[in-house]
Amino acid sequence: MSVLSRIATVALVSLTTAGLAQAAPVVDQPAPDFTGVTAKGETVNLEDLRGKTVVLEWTNHRCPFVAKHYNSGNMQALQQETQAEGDVVWLQVISSGPGRSGHVTGEKAQALNADREALPADTLLDESGAIGQAYAARVTPHMYIIDEAGLLRYQGGIDSIASANPADIPKATNYVREAMAALGAGEAVPNPVTRAYGCSIRYAPAS
Amino acid sequence: MRALLAAFLLFCFTGPAWAAASDPAGTERVQVRFLSDVAAVSPGETFTLALEQRIIPKWHTYWLNPGDSGLPTEIDWTLPAGATAGAIQWPYPERFDVGPITNYGYSDQVVLLNQITVPADLQPGDSFPIRAHVRWLVCEEICIPEETNLSMVLPVAAPPAPSDYHESLEATRALLPVASPWESQVALNGQELTLTLALPEAAQDQVVSAQFFPDAWGQVIHSGKQEVFRGAQGLSLVMEPEVGFDPIQQPLSGVLVLTDSLDDGQTVTRALSLEVLADASGAAVAPAGGGSAGGVGISLAGDAGAAFAEIGFFTALLFAFLGGLILNLMPCVFPVLSIKILSLAQQVGGERRVMRHHGLVYTAGVLVSFAALAGLLLVLRAGGEALGWGFQFQSPTFVLLMALLFFALGLMLSGAFTFGASWIGVGDRLTQKPGMGGSFFTGVLATLAATPCTAPFMGAAVGFAVAASGVTAIAVFLALGLGLATPYLLLTLFPGALSWLPKPGVWMDRLKQAMAFPLYAAAIWLVWVLAQQSGAQGVLAVLAAMLLLAFAAWLFQTTRALGRGGRMVATVSVVLVLAASVLAAPRLLPSASAGGPITALKDGLVPSEPFSPARLAELRDEGRTVFVNFTAAWCITCLVNEEVAFTDPAVAKAFKAGNVVYLKADWTNRDPVITEALAAQGRSGVPLYLLYPRDGGSPEVLPQILTAGSVIQALTAVTQTSQSAELDTQ
Repeated sequence: MSVLSRIATVALVSLTTAGLAQAAPVVDQPAPDFTGVTAKGETVNLEDLRGKTVVLEWTNHRCPFVAKHYNSGNMQALQQETQAEGDVVWLQVISSGPGRSGHVTGEKAQALNADREALPADTLLDESGAIGQAYAARVTPHMYIIDEAGLLRYQGGIDSIASANPADIPKATNYVREAMAALGAGEAVPNPVTRAYGCSIRYAPAS
Repeated sequence: MRALLAAFLLFCFTGPAWAAASDPAGTERVQVRFLSDVAAVSPGETFTLALEQRIIPKWHTYWLNPGDSGLPTEIDWTLPAGATAGAIQWPYPERFDVGPITNYGYSDQVVLLNQITVPADLQPGDSFPIRAHVRWLVCEEICIPEETNLSMVLPVAAPPAPSDYHESLEATRALLPVASPWESQVALNGQELTLTLALPEAAQDQVVSAQFFPDAWGQVIHSGKQEVFRGAQGLSLVMEPEVGFDPIQQPLSGVLVLTDSLDDGQTVTRALSLEVLADASGAAVAPAGGGSAGGVGISLAGDAGAAFAEIGFFTALLFAFLGGLILNLMPCVFPVLSIKILSLAQQVGGERRVMRHHGLVYTAGVLVSFAALAGLLLVLRAGGEALGWGFQFQSPTFVLLMALLFFALGLMLSGAFTFGASWIGVGDRLTQKPGMGGSFFTGVLATLAATPCTAPFMGAAVGFAVAASGVTAIAVFLALGLGLATPYLLLTLFPGALSWLPKPGVWMDRLKQAMAFPLYAAAIWLVWVLAQQSGAQGVLAVLAAMLLLAFAAWLFQTTRALGRGGRMVATVSVVLVLAASVLAAPRLLPSASAGGPITALKDGLVPSEPFSPARLAELRDEGRTVFVNFTAAWCITCLVNEEVAFTDPAVAKAFKAGNVVYLKADWTNRDPVITEALAAQGRSGVPLYLLYPRDGGSPEVLPQILTAGSVIQALTAVTQTSQSAELDTQ
């Protein structure tokens, strides 16, 4: 009997772990660790960035919602202003699978950023989708902020108005700016979890 | 198509006149146009103007809540002064799962309805121009935001005239969600958000799929599983809540889409709009289907929503049969059965055919009683009662009558009276016809006597049956009955097995008399139960009835020797006395509410608190380990367990060492809260023992037969696990 229940427990534990793989990370808890390859071919490990605030931006240059924030200069401004103040590392993440919308080579990713005058510290090429799945990233743009201690402090949308219309940007509350300001002031993030809006991330089909 | 043609013809032959549809506009992916359900608008009236989207294959547009990505379609109206447009009325959406992302929207074609109110000051002959800027997002592999302008002009006429689109728009209206005609409830339990719709049994059986669409972000994980469970409380959908969603603070709001398969094979889809706040006191109740099919001697830690899924129909039948077999050994059934077996022993060597016959008739008696019990359960359940195994003991009248029955049987075995060809059949010649009636009655009696007992395996089986459809429930109950009848049936088929018994003689009479004492004990126990339920007055009623019963027995026994006339008088008086005791006694019982709350069950050495879902939730929030004991005074198995396990100092020590809170859910009297909590674990009766770990995980279900050792082991295991889990997170 005890053997049986032990087997049942083991089976259950593995089930639970499998179920957790897809679950969203929790704010104020340690952010899921990752190691990724950048557009320049370097390796970035989240753990190595302890002591710095890390902003993750899921992106896809073919997505109109991403275009809304880049064509208007909103995203570039945010990248510049956050990284200018204090120790902040802004990482773009591209989780599109090979052959799917938004999937790019390292060169292309760098060229896109040069063209848009975007200023991320790096761009992670996550074509397996592992980092995206770990963060339960669903859309582009999907934003995450990790503090110096490695705790997730914000996850959600870039701002409060879900639309593809650039005219909405000035009217919207920019949640990333709001969260960064709160963290800088040592205060609690007012809206730590918000609705991320945009295009679905085109993950590689599950193998 | 006909409508299009009609519109076209109308346009051709009446020149630049009115059309009830706008010109189509849009892109190569999505064509849009307006369709009006009236050919002419009337001052002060409201009419329907529909936005039709025709979408090329594989692409889709979005619902009010687009899901994980996407945007809903929007319409900016430019209407004549005084006219107003209501919010878009959305037909229920489809769910699109693409990898880990889920969207709610429409493919191929969708018609979004809008209610436009025409100002009252317009005059017939005026025109009513409509202009709108329409924006939508259409996605396949990529997403494209698109927009266009639509315009049309409708004439103003005094009586509204339906347009050619009227009928097709009425068909669209049928796709709009309607307010749910059934009550619904929502409960959050850890990682399970359960929406329960009080759908009647028959309607539940027709449902082949159910899908909930939250109408806003932040309630339910869109890509999460949604599992359907059928149960006594209704149809339940177990979903994954979005982080931080609290249905006590914010209602669960959206559309529940049910697809029914009708008897003629057609499927019908219904969309119900729901907005449900969780009941603060019920929030902690585990969802229907939560917990596990444990209680089978093996305790399986409860996987989410698995109870009805885990134990299938055939498992339930097997468990029921095993449970029935074991019932024979339970203290309530054993005396009745042993007497019956003795009567059989007297006949060893008798006619095999007759003995077989008796076995079959006894089996029939058991099965008929179980079928009747199942039928009663189903009828009461259809009437909305929340019931479970042993439910009849929640009625003081039933308890009283059972006490009288056991007392009368005891008197008979003691020899206070003999009853022609005795019911129980001791001393009865098996060849006599009345013996057959006796066998049948013994079957009925065994069933009645069995009801306060719960055997291992039974809990899961009966829980399954109570939640299942009618035919399934009856099948499970019959399997239980078959299990109960099998030992006696086998003995009648193979009477040789009894040959080890001594030859019939005086010892049998002595044994019969001795067996009266367990029956008296059962009667005492029932009187005690009644005392819990109805207080001193209930005890008075049952004891007075017992006195009358004893008097009737004496009267019967002393007058039966008299002549025919005397016997007649005696019989009439016996019937009168019996009627007086059986009919009058229940009237003496105080009304159920007068009994007040009872906590008659002894605590043993472990101090307990009364169970309530709110208290459980509170304790779990505090991070305490909680042991919940679902019990009832009339449940012998429960009492035995408590006597065995909770009076042991070592158990008390284990409770103290693990800082475990002991909650007692006392089901002696009817209590819908406890019934619901039981149902949430897939159970319909007591005992049920749940051990909630302090880390908020699912409760462990302990076996239905407890020992001090098993309780200590479970307590130690759960407290150690949570401690190590705590270390891991530090």
